[in-house]
Amino acid sequence: MSVWVLAAAVLAGPGCGRSGPNKKLEIVLVTKALDSEFWQRLKAGAEQAARGDPQVRLAVLAPEREINIDQQVAILEDQVLKKVSALAVAPAGVAEVLPVLEKARAAGIPVLIVDTDLPWPHRVGFVGIDNRLGGRMAGEYVLQALGGRGKVAVIRGVLGVATQEDRLAGFQEVVSKAPGIQWVGAQPANSERALGMSVMENLLTRHPDLKAVFATNDQMALGAMEAIAARNLTGRIVLVGFDAGREAVRAVLAGRMNAVMAQYPERIGRRAIEEAIKAARGRPVERFVDVGTALVTRENAHEFLR
Amino acid sequence: MSGGFWSRTAARALRRFGPLLALALMCAALSLLSEHFFSLDNLLNVFRQSAVNALLALGQLVVIITAGIDLSVGSILGLCCVLAALALKAGAPSALGIALALGAGAGLGAVNGLLYTKLRLPHPFIPTLGMMNVARGLALVITGGFPISELPAGFRYWGAGALWGIPAPVAVVVGFCLIFHLLLTRTTPGRDLYAIGGNRQAALLCGVPVDGRLILAYTLSGLTAGAGAVVLAGRMNSGFPLAGAGAELDSIAAVIIGGASFFGGVGTVLGTLVGALIMGVLRNGLNLMNVSAYWQTVVIGAVIVAAVWVDVVRQRAAAGR
Repeated sequence: MSVWVLAAAVLAGPGCGRSGPNKKLEIVLVTKALDSEFWQRLKAGAEQAARGDPQVRLAVLAPEREINIDQQVAILEDQVLKKVSALAVAPAGVAEVLPVLEKARAAGIPVLIVDTDLPWPHRVGFVGIDNRLGGRMAGEYVLQALGGRGKVAVIRGVLGVATQEDRLAGFQEVVSKAPGIQWVGAQPANSERALGMSVMENLLTRHPDLKAVFATNDQMALGAMEAIAARNLTGRIVLVGFDAGREAVRAVLAGRMNAVMAQYPERIGRRAIEEAIKAARGRPVERFVDVGTALVTRENAHEFLR
Repeated sequence: MSGGFWSRTAARALRRFGPLLALALMCAALSLLSEHFFSLDNLLNVFRQSAVNALLALGQLVVIITAGIDLSVGSILGLCCVLAALALKAGAPSALGIALALGAGAGLGAVNGLLYTKLRLPHPFIPTLGMMNVARGLALVITGGFPISELPAGFRYWGAGALWGIPAPVAVVVGFCLIFHLLLTRTTPGRDLYAIGGNRQAALLCGVPVDGRLILAYTLSGLTAGAGAVVLAGRMNSGFPLAGAGAELDSIAAVIIGGASFFGGVGTVLGTLVGALIMGVLRNGLNLMNVSAYWQTVVIGAVIVAAVWVDVVRQRAAAGR
């Protein structure tokens, strides 16, 4: 018995200094996944922001894949139970995560939304980009590259999620205005590379005269790129991605992908944690932090490899 | 002789209570590792998070007892989620939504059983693998891939509600456990399932209606998938077509960790429930300690192999007499 008590005391040791004036702030960032460069860089930015403040303890957690919404909910429930100081969440679903966000609110935990906004009035703020604008910019690039004519398709991520809906809506808004554009449709590939490739293969089989594809994240764009290359169509189909991870930017430089919309995941992660720390301290938080987006083409790609 | 008796008793006790002992040890360890683990709130949390897997595992247990396997439970759950959500959105009362999920689950399970027995497919792997793809595909086709969210409160109760502090999903699991326990141990069809799993030819020669019992087993597995759908859709406030992706493997893992044998004829409801709780406790404890989901998967994989290894050692000890 005494051994157990001793062990408990030893293990509880590091956590003991949590009360008192020098209260540790426990900030938890829960992303949709950590399986791509985008999330890894967002995590790195978050960790950088946390290192600047000795009182902050940051944990970055995520389900295995973006489609495991129930796993994200379980992770959030467990964090709410721990009564952490603040939560920063990139929600994998909308209605699915709202109940647990409400629980966080009931427990007095401020919740900041990151990357993918959702219609929840009680979030203390949102840090991300204007995805609709990003979609519009991608659309304008495609229109220009095609000279306003040809068959256009979109490969998209999980349905019903705001980032994906907004990018698609922005893109469609632009291309639908051009009379010479023939809209083929938007096919889901769950933001995964392998699915992006097979969806692209199917698109090319059904529409051999396809002229342009907008994939709403890098992973799907890289998958689509391989499908295009396998048919020796590189350069003959305009391919635009979203996120501008290193692999995608290198592909743009190599001429294997035409363009990619840049996100600045480090900035998103850093600003999210800065705002979450403010929220944890009860200070006012910016309602919408827009870290901006940009079009990456062969001309400016080298700037994004630094 | 008395030595043989004692070691046999010990072996039986290990099989019966081994998983329970493992669960208790794990809870003790996690209580030491995380100050948040051992609280009523968190234990209820674990039960809530384990409920869906426990339900799927109950059906899976019935099938594994017959030396079968059901790969379709995750997909059937997904399709049932979607069907119930669509019906509710169309204005159906909550009770009808629940009945639809349960009925569709049982129906699809029965199709598995019919395909296996009447088409004489070589192994249950085949029909249930087919159903896994068909049901998932249909769930995606029906919804176009979109989640169907915002379900009525009456339906959500079974996933998100509570009565006297006890989460409704826990009550559902306990209810199903009792029914399945009685069915497996106190009824002729239940005991027949063990007989079929132990030795199918012998069961057939003894006059057990093997095909009918197998169809029953897969129907029950589908039924628990439907019940899992009610709980999950209620909990998540959404019928999403990708719900339950990979859940079939978790349910198989729970059954195996719970001491059932892949070769059939062996397995208990209590063991399976404990198996599901071991997985839930592990994930919850690791979440509380901020361990990444990737490592959780590694740990659960190791636990599955360790659980079966303990069983192999036990069997060898028993056979060594």
